[in-house]
Amino acid sequence: MICDEVTRDLDAFVDRELAADAAAPIREHLSACASCRQRVADREALGRLVRSVPYYDAPERLRARVSGQARRTTSARRLMAWAAAAAVVVSIGGGISLVRSGTVRADTPVDEVVNGHVRSLMADHLFDVRSTDQHTVKPWFLGQLDFSPPVVDLASVGFPLAGGRLDYVAGRPVAALVYQRQKHTINVFVWPASGGTPAVQERAVRGFHVRHWIRNGMAYWAVSDLNDMELTEFVRALQTT
Amino acid sequence: MPPRRFEEIVLPHLSAAFNYARWLTRNDADAEDVVQDACVRAVRFFPSLRDDDARGWLFAIVRNTWYSRVSRRAGAAELPLDSTIDDPADSALDPEARLLQQLAVARVREALEQLPVDFREVLVLREIEGMSYKEIAALVRVPIGTVMSRLARARDRLSAVLKPPSLSMERVP
Repeated sequence: MICDEVTRDLDAFVDRELAADAAAPIREHLSACASCRQRVADREALGRLVRSVPYYDAPERLRARVSGQARRTTSARRLMAWAAAAAVVVSIGGGISLVRSGTVRADTPVDEVVNGHVRSLMADHLFDVRSTDQHTVKPWFLGQLDFSPPVVDLASVGFPLAGGRLDYVAGRPVAALVYQRQKHTINVFVWPASGGTPAVQERAVRGFHVRHWIRNGMAYWAVSDLNDMELTEFVRALQTT
Repeated sequence: MPPRRFEEIVLPHLSAAFNYARWLTRNDADAEDVVQDACVRAVRFFPSLRDDDARGWLFAIVRNTWYSRVSRRAGAAELPLDSTIDDPADSALDPEARLLQQLAVARVREALEQLPVDFREVLVLREIEGMSYKEIAALVRVPIGTVMSRLARARDRLSAVLKPPSLSMERVP
């Protein structure tokens, strides 16, 4: 392996887009070559700089206009669907009862935690207890749940705890811990688990990143719109504390 | 399958769409127009959204909307930069550190804005949105190899602009 080959794959390596068998020789080369190590470190530093630029948030008036328009379109659409259905019933001359379109949905935990995340942001009900102090948040849960979720602040690694709330997943009350990374919110849902694997499972649902793992008898589900790399960093920090 | 609501599926990604449009247009008012127009189309096409990636789907509509506006206006002068920068700085920092942080952020933002739009776009999608090469390739409609080389060139240019003194601050052992 020579430095030129590292140059060719530098970005894919830093972005973790290289297959394992292509990344291994680079890693090996890095352990021996200080100048390539420096180039990787520079690329990573550049990435952190770009990610430090805050999000441009959608202005409130834009949000209001778009959701107003969505509501109007949806109700017009629903009205047309009902009108069409009613026309069928009338033309057949009755005898047919309209079957309501199914509202039952086989929710798996992954759907439920993503719904919980979205709900917490939309309804602006992120916190039941708002505190960056783990010694305030943890005792609060004790009064609400029949288990004690581990609560740690990760401010030292850039993910400050912002608070917690009670949520419901799979028909049971669960702990939702809220962390912030700049403007991104991370919800971590925690409840006692029986069995399961400690390996972190990754999913993307409706544009949100989801991580799931089991640790010390607790199921963890982390949901965020944070980018993949930072969420991985967050999960690693949470797992090692 | 119950009728899914636009508000639940797509609206949570509105800020991401705005951020993306803002980086494409470099201008608040244009970004707002693009996202507004894109959402009109998104609402209309919403029943046809099949896959799970609502963000990628919305981004594709934003990108098409932006692209058709730009090509309509082809030849028009480059839009002026928006110089109003107010960063919600980390309130936990002391005033001096906060000022330094604001300056650093303003500098990176300016350097990004000066990159050609093709470069700016892949950097924002990769670094800020954390999209994979495959997702970016599908959105931008170029091969994955092009995504990789664009990112490499974008980063080379960005680090050349930023080099003294804010980069190379970390030396590896």
